[in-house]
Order: sequence, then structure tokens, then C-alpha cells
Amino acid sequence: MASVHAVKTATTLAPTVRTLASGVPLPSRLNLNVKAPHDAHAHGHGAPGPRTDVQPRWAGGISRASSGLISKTYTSVSPSTHFQQRFISTSVARKDAPEVPDFSAYRTNTDSNRALSYFMIGSMGVISASAAKSSVSEFLQSMAASADVLALAKVEVDLTTIPEGKNVIIKWRGKPVFIRHRTQGEIEEARSANWKSFRDPESDDARVKKPEWLVMLGVCTHLGCVPIGEAGDYGGWFCPCHGSHYDISGRARKGPAPLNLEIPAYEFSEGDAKLTIG
Amino acid sequence: MALSTTFYNAFFRRNSVYVGTVFAGAFAFGIGFDLGVTKFYDTWNKGKQWKDIRQKYVQESE
Repeated sequence: MASVHAVKTATTLAPTVRTLASGVPLPSRLNLNVKAPHDAHAHGHGAPGPRTDVQPRWAGGISRASSGLISKTYTSVSPSTHFQQRFISTSVARKDAPEVPDFSAYRTNTDSNRALSYFMIGSMGVISASAAKSSVSEFLQSMAASADVLALAKVEVDLTTIPEGKNVIIKWRGKPVFIRHRTQGEIEEARSANWKSFRDPESDDARVKKPEWLVMLGVCTHLGCVPIGEAGDYGGWFCPCHGSHYDISGRARKGPAPLNLEIPAYEFSEGDAKLTIG
Repeated sequence: MALSTTFYNAFFRRNSVYVGTVFAGAFAFGIGFDLGVTKFYDTWNKGKQWKDIRQKYVQESE
């Protein structure tokens, strides 16, 4: 009795399905185009529906044409170069990322805001300019003479105590000031002189505000000595240092003095009673 | 809207007009501020300043 021994041979089968690089499953030797059994109920499963094992249209399939049925199977060539791993990602690259986002939907009335913004900037400018101007003017005022200096800079003289034909010497800003109450004869003498031929031509009118009052600085214009009153060749002043002669209007007539005696700023107040120098 | 646009066109459109307006405004603001503060000071110190009580002590001659 011959006995049959089954020989067991273990082999490693190749997988029946592999996936192409394009993602298309490639089952070799598997015809996916088989039709469904004509009687779906013959072998006892549920309701009829589309087959789950039909290949997708992009992988091929049967289509109907005028010439008949056409069966197509697309083959995909797996890429040999530039294989790129596809990672799982939830976002796509934005091509417009460098652009400034559009915030126009969040803005209110742009025109009124623009005017308001410029107004606020302008108000800031107004206040800044005002503050700058105030700072500068206050700083300059701090360099001005203070009230006590200004008070010392003026001298008031009571003219009623000076009789006619007399000299008075007062001190003003550290310098002597001659005040001469001239007589009528002296005035005529000062006016009648031919002043255009003098060294420093100046008329008597230009040197006095009132003809009877001659006010001038008592400093010789030569080297700064104090001339002596009612002396000299011309009835006026005489400088003892170098011999300059001044006439009754204070004009240099003889000697080294180059200029007439200087006239300070002065004015009369309260009629003729007061004289303010400075 | 219309008022603000008028404002913008009148003062802010040209920079020269803008700066000129700012300077003129600063000038007017300085004067107005000075006057206002002086007026407030005089009101606040009414009856205490020399110009308020001068007639009590100084008899105007003539």
C-alpha cells in the first residue's frame, strides 16, 4: 500500500499588493475589473451597493465609447530623481506673506482721523514753539539789567537850585556831568560863533535841548581829564592836563582835544524844574 | 467728514501752510496765555495789589 507523504515546503510569498510612489496601489495579477456577481443575494450578504474594490477612475477602468467598451489602465512611472518625502502638514505656504496685511476693515473713518491726527500734531507744535519762545525770551531777560542797576543808572537834578550863570557838577555812572545855567549873553555868544570852521563842527542848537541849560559829560575828549569850568580862552572850560580849550557850548576850540564834550541822554520833567540824566 | 476734509485741505495739505499756521498759532497762544494768566492773577489777588490800594495812600496833586 503505497502511502503518499505530503511534502511540506515553506516559501516566502511576495506581497500581493505594493504601493507605487504615486500612491497607487499596484496589485499584481489581480484583476480589479471583475464584475460583481449577477446575483448579489446568492451568497447571503447585505444590501447591494457599489463595490468597494473597484479601482478609482484615475487608475484606469472601463469607459464606453462609440466603438465599444474601452478598458484603460494607467501606469505610473515611479520617479527616479527628486524624490520628495511628503510630510504631514496642516498649512500651505503663503505666497503673499511679505505684504502688509490689509487692516482697512478695522479702520473707522480714515479722513476724519487724518484731520484729527494732524490737528493733534499741530497743537503739539504750537505748544512746543510757545514754550521754546518763552524759554529764549526769559533767558534773554535774565541778562538784562536788574531794577537796582537801572535805578542807579539815572540821576535826577533839581534845576531850581541852580542860579543863572553857575556850573553844577554831579556824578552820573561814575563820571562827572557839567550842568551850566547859561545867561542870555552866553547863549548869544554860543550861537553867533562860526561853528562850521571848528575842529568838530556842531551847532549850539544840536547840543542843547533848551538854550539856557547846557548838559554834558565832564570828561576831556583828549585823554579823559576833568576840565575846569569858567576858564580858558573862550569863556567855557579848560583842561589843565594838556591845555584844551572849550567854549560856552562845550565845543573844542583850541588844544589837542579832537572832539566836543559829549552830551549824555537827558530830559526835562515837571516843566523845567527837574532834569533826568540817563 | 466734510468739515474735517475742509480743515485738512485748508491747513494740512501743504507743509508751508501747516508750519505757518503752527507759528502763528504759537504767537497768538503766547499772547492769549499771558493775558489770561495776568487776568486770573489780578482777579485772585483783588484788593491786595498796589494798583488796587494806591488811591488810599497817594493823593494826586493838582
